[in-house]
Amino acid sequence: MSAAEIREQIGGSWEERGDGWWLPLPPEQIRAAARTMLAGEARFVAQVASPGSQGEFSLSWHWDLKGTLLSVTTTLAAGRPAPSIVDIYVGADWAERETRDYYAVTFEGRDATPTLMLRAEDAPGMMLPSEAGRP
Amino acid sequence: MSYRIPIGPYHLALEEPYKIELDCQGERVTGATLKVGFNFRGIEWLAERKNITKAIALMERVCGICSNVHSMTFCMALEQIGGVEVPPRAQYVRVVVAELERLHSHLLWAGIAAELIGFQTLFMQIFRLRECVMDALESISGNRVNYSMNRIGGVNRDIEHPEAVRKAVNQVQDAVSRTLIPLFTTDQTVAARCRGVGRFSLAEAIAYGAVGPVARASGLDTDMRRDHPYLAYNALEFAVPTRPEGDVLARIVVRALEILESCRIIDQTLERLPAGPLHAGDIYLVPPGEAVARIEGPRGEVFYYVRSDGSDTPTRVKVRTPSFANIPTVTAMVRGSDLADVPLIQGALDPCYSCTDR
Repeated sequence: MSAAEIREQIGGSWEERGDGWWLPLPPEQIRAAARTMLAGEARFVAQVASPGSQGEFSLSWHWDLKGTLLSVTTTLAAGRPAPSIVDIYVGADWAERETRDYYAVTFEGRDATPTLMLRAEDAPGMMLPSEAGRP
Repeated sequence: MSYRIPIGPYHLALEEPYKIELDCQGERVTGATLKVGFNFRGIEWLAERKNITKAIALMERVCGICSNVHSMTFCMALEQIGGVEVPPRAQYVRVVVAELERLHSHLLWAGIAAELIGFQTLFMQIFRLRECVMDALESISGNRVNYSMNRIGGVNRDIEHPEAVRKAVNQVQDAVSRTLIPLFTTDQTVAARCRGVGRFSLAEAIAYGAVGPVARASGLDTDMRRDHPYLAYNALEFAVPTRPEGDVLARIVVRALEILESCRIIDQTLERLPAGPLHAGDIYLVPPGEAVARIEGPRGEVFYYVRSDGSDTPTRVKVRTPSFANIPTVTAMVRGSDLADVPLIQGALDPCYSCTDR
């Protein structure tokens, strides 16, 4: 499958930017998009979490197909879990665990999300805005 | 009998700490669990609390081997947000330093691999070659590790003695093509130790998101320099070596061939070095926006996401290093292998725990 075919199959309004193609999706459509990416042999690249000003989170998943970046973004309301794609892309395991370490985002659809960079007894969320004053 | 062997966080062969727990049935490995984070420095957290100029220096501390690619990719993301055009000469200088860094990284790894295989003489030969590359980097930047070459919109220093750099590169090219490649591809001891060990399929490479030489040794034909050209790579001729076998030997051969390709790239770049300025002026701020920058580092694709609110401090910096993508693949590579092969399989990944932990 080509990057254009993947975009077409996932649907929606893709935006072409200097760094690749971007698509906003509701959280419940992320897993279907990931399945299409895998069917098209797109390589999982990264997951990026960014906190918003009202407690919401912007999450993006990035794939690569022959140099074309395909990015899918979603916004999570405060306290809402994010969909896990670990059962589709095993390579997303560390990305999800790190997102939990940094922002205390929980992932729905996986048995557990152990710490990755933090110690097991550390509280998640070291990069939350509420932690800004931490030395 | 089944049992679990904890190895690490401190290792005999690797300087950096991490832990691997191996589930074994007799001498056969049936599963593995990894624990990282021993080098965690919170670099993303720190970058979001420093002004851009300081953050460029910080990013160069992500890795002690491929330090340049981190400051370069960070600058490229900022340049994209700000619409900053990098002058042609600066692009070529960046290519030379990036490829010298690849030579340094690959030779360092090849030396360690030779030692892991038990080939001490080769280890010493390779490290002697690596010194030529370190000297070339020092002649350009004044530094052997953190080169401080990058700034937003260009580079801080010129290549004042291109002929000396070419001479060093030609020396590496000659030695690698005459000694290293024939040895890695035809020596029976190397083949017996590495062929069929630590197999990792193309489908696994896609699912795990493997990058760089690890992915290319499993038949995944990916290289950001060719697939999504940046800097001057569009104007340069080079091949992307791949192998279908997905074993330790394939990873060794791919890296050895990449050394020659980097030499070719440096040779062409120095020959065509255009005249002109080294940077686009003093830039300390970029407008609000976000961008992803990706480049092909020595260990594979480096991914940076940067978001700016227009102030001098980035609001979000995400760094995905190649080792972060590659290290989890070891759990698939060691499954079904002999316990004695585990150090070699890990070594063949060229793992960097400093990069991974950031």
